[in-house]
Amino acid sequence: MAPPPVKAAVTRGERPPGRRHRYRFRRWIDQAGLYVSVLILVSPSILFFLWMISLSLKTELDNTAYPPVLIPHPPTLDNFIQVFAKNDFLTYTINSVIVSFSATGLALLFGVPAGYGIAKTNATKAAVLILIARVTPGLSYLIPLFLLFQWLGMLGTLYPLVITHLVITVPIVVWIMIGYFEGLPVALEESALVDGATIWQAFRYVAVPLARPGIVVATILSFIFSWNNFIFGVVLAGRTTRTLPVAVYNVLTFEQISWGPLAAAALVVTAPVLLLTLFMQKEIVAGLTAGGVKA
Amino acid sequence: MAGGLLALRRRKHTYVRRYWMFAVPAALLVAAVIVFPWLFTLFMSVHDWKVSGNTYYVGLTNYVHLMHDDRFLWAVVRTLYFTTAAVVLPVGIGLWAAVCFARRFPLRGAARTVFILPMMATPVAIALVWTMMFHPQLGVLNYILTSVGLPPSSWVYSSDTVIPTLVMVETWQWTPLVMLIVLGGISSLPVDPYEAAEIDGASGWQMFRFITVPLIWPFIVVAAVMRIIDALKAFDTIFVITNGGPGTSSETINMLLYQTAFGYYDLGYASAMVVVFFVLIMVLSLVLLGTRQQELTL
Amino acid sequence: MIRRRSLLAASTVLLAAPAIVRRAGAQAAFNWQQFKGQTITVSLTKSPRADNLQAHEKEFEALTGINVLSEQMPEQQQRPKMVMELASGRPSFDVTHFSLHVSKRVVGVGHWLEDMRPYLADPKLTSPEYDWADMSAGALRAATQPDGRIDSLPVESDVWLVYYNKQIFADGGVSFPKTFDEMLATARKLTDPAKGVYGFVARGVKNANVPVWTSLLLGQDQETVTPDGKTLLTDTPAAIWAGEMYKSLLRETAPPGVVGFNWNECQTSFMQGKVGMWLDGVGFAPPLLDPKVSKIADHVGFGVMPAGPRAHNCPVFTDAIGIPARSKVKGPAYLYCQWATSKQMALNLVNMGGGASPRQSTYKDPTLMKNNPFGQEWLATLLTSLTIARAGLPEIVPVTEFRDVFGIALTNMIGGADPATELRKATATFRPVLESSLKT
Repeated sequence: MAPPPVKAAVTRGERPPGRRHRYRFRRWIDQAGLYVSVLILVSPSILFFLWMISLSLKTELDNTAYPPVLIPHPPTLDNFIQVFAKNDFLTYTINSVIVSFSATGLALLFGVPAGYGIAKTNATKAAVLILIARVTPGLSYLIPLFLLFQWLGMLGTLYPLVITHLVITVPIVVWIMIGYFEGLPVALEESALVDGATIWQAFRYVAVPLARPGIVVATILSFIFSWNNFIFGVVLAGRTTRTLPVAVYNVLTFEQISWGPLAAAALVVTAPVLLLTLFMQKEIVAGLTAGGVKA
Repeated sequence: MAGGLLALRRRKHTYVRRYWMFAVPAALLVAAVIVFPWLFTLFMSVHDWKVSGNTYYVGLTNYVHLMHDDRFLWAVVRTLYFTTAAVVLPVGIGLWAAVCFARRFPLRGAARTVFILPMMATPVAIALVWTMMFHPQLGVLNYILTSVGLPPSSWVYSSDTVIPTLVMVETWQWTPLVMLIVLGGISSLPVDPYEAAEIDGASGWQMFRFITVPLIWPFIVVAAVMRIIDALKAFDTIFVITNGGPGTSSETINMLLYQTAFGYYDLGYASAMVVVFFVLIMVLSLVLLGTRQQELTL
Repeated sequence: MIRRRSLLAASTVLLAAPAIVRRAGAQAAFNWQQFKGQTITVSLTKSPRADNLQAHEKEFEALTGINVLSEQMPEQQQRPKMVMELASGRPSFDVTHFSLHVSKRVVGVGHWLEDMRPYLADPKLTSPEYDWADMSAGALRAATQPDGRIDSLPVESDVWLVYYNKQIFADGGVSFPKTFDEMLATARKLTDPAKGVYGFVARGVKNANVPVWTSLLLGQDQETVTPDGKTLLTDTPAAIWAGEMYKSLLRETAPPGVVGFNWNECQTSFMQGKVGMWLDGVGFAPPLLDPKVSKIADHVGFGVMPAGPRAHNCPVFTDAIGIPARSKVKGPAYLYCQWATSKQMALNLVNMGGGASPRQSTYKDPTLMKNNPFGQEWLATLLTSLTIARAGLPEIVPVTEFRDVFGIALTNMIGGADPATELRKATATFRPVLESSLKT
């Protein structure tokens, strides 16, 4: 007679009756501990971004004041105006958008089928190849590629950036898609094949729609990491083909303490991906946690 | 289920080669963008290849020189020091965070979103803000320290504190990634062992140590491997905040590599460094992946 | 045109009146519009010099009808990019602005820039008002390669001096030091960490800090390499003395964190009114006197570099401008270079405080003498400094690596390392690099 009530109680998250007082106290400590933990874990992130926003809205006078001022008085949008007026930030934003969208689009085109193929054939060796792409230090292929693009005269265009960004985006897409495709039930595809579809059609009309959440995640993450990339831009970008991370670095290296414009520039550069994260956090979390399972 | 799968496998055998074709375009692309430059790097590494002078074949001289180059060897030491710290801390904190976020509590979604923001933010932009916060006289971090009675820190301006400071920034930024990977593991855990343990009277800590950890160990290893690879290659943050300084106190292999190639224009030597660096990364990754395989078979 | 000019030249010889010469020259009307309609791309290093050029760019475009696409990039990016692009033979620019003390030899060895001598000698391309002979000897020497080629035109000569805060000096009851030893004593006297006041600040970050050390070294009448550029003089007793001085100044009398300071952090510290003296280049003066950003705009003093035990010198670093040999629009590019280094532009540069002019005539200009925006003390210091200026960095190919290796040694000294040991170690490390560069 004892087991069923105990089991039911446990699955409900409670202790069996009879130990309620001690249990409730322990539970309260437990919950308090959880809340404190979460607070500690989350505060570095909150405080940092708050400070970043504060820096960007303060005047130079406020920014060089000591003790530091948190709430600007008065707040000013001058820093943001200066960022766009003094630098060609609009051009750089467009560059970043073009490069990231292209690199992501191409990565999906190549990576989704690749993920499918690798998942189906259980090819760990191919996965290792993708891992090697991740492992290689960027500079190892940057130097020769720089020389190659110089020689081809392509350095004034965005093509070199898109091509090199593929090295980042394709592995991400493949890695995530392997996870998603492996988790798909085979029954639907099997029935399609039995009905006479080619594997390509089974892929395209059955597997892909089913794996759409995975594709969404892969797109988001691939875009974010391409957007954030710095080192390729620093080496390969020309005057008009610079991406935002490179541009914001240029803002630093010669200004004397102009923290306001610098923080504003930093905010402008990272705002798109932060907003993307805020709106798509559920998908991102789902994608990264599911992908982790299969690695 | 198993019998059906077996029959399926046999029928699919003919399809295996066809499925491989799906991966060919991607593989070709990766090969073109990486393999060709890699071969060229190997080629450059056996030459004395400076940008301004003539190039001539020198065999393994660059490699021999590397092995005796104090600056490079110290860079290796620093890289290992930085990497170890930048892996252990995020994995430890990430594990703790994953356990917390696996539980249900109000505003969990919002908290989780805020928690993963550092990982998504543009590293260069973040590094610039950190630089401003580290300023010894006007930075906000020293203000916080002094207002709670602690002495101000030199942060990135002293060779003693620079690497721990950079590790702090790395940890702040990448712990969310560890958390997410481990969280994936925790959320797929079965309930049975916990029930049984609870009936037997195990405490929360005991359940964690003897049930949770062994079961999610593969995920921890995956997170650790990813962290090792990323920490070994860390560039953006260090480049922007310290550029290897003060002096060479935060000069990792990757930083020295960049300086050798783009500061000293010594492409041959830099290429040799790249090759050695890559071997180092591969060895470390494979060693750790090996332990994962072992754990799984246990 | 030539015939007319020689006629006019003959008549001016008869009359020997400078005013008429000038009018005559104008009548001969050098054709600034000869490359009208073409476009050039100009790569500038982010600096006050570049600010000056960009500020007056529209005037050039109006004068010549040439379209200019110019851009300033921070030196950390612009320098390697310039070298890489020139080396590959496909530079993306037609005019490049660079620092001779960093890139002169590497550019010269590869013959990557056009030899300017034919252009200077060609009356069709060089306006008679240009007056190449007006360039100071130091600037000429800097721009000339060892084999005699002149592949760039000097834009600016940055002399180094010591800025000082008159308020802090008055409060501390000290006067501007005349020797380095006095400077150290003064700095020590003014340093009061409890009040947050420090006597001295200079660059501590590696690579950028080497000119500070060479400034001190010049006081011992020694440079860092022998004149032939073949032997290092960086572990001599004089060099070690300079290292000790550097270490004492930055360790005892500079703000905490100085080990990570480049010129912009130093400038900020100085502008906050917390530092007594700042040793750096004269080109950084303008923001110091701007009340909008500087807290000490009213009490900035300019002092000549103090003397050392054996000599009284100050380093000078020259920026120049050149044309890639592979450029397709060398004519228009040359007109730009000419304009950028002309008398008027040099005058503009000095008037906006962006550095010292490489031309002698600039310092004879009456308006500059009377009302320059930075005061008489600034001008007097600048003129004196120009007379005692010497090269501040060795003219070798691997100069960046030199600055890194010795810069690291200097940074270590700030952290407490022994100067003699560090300098000897750095010399031993760098010697093979220098020797291998001499082979090519």
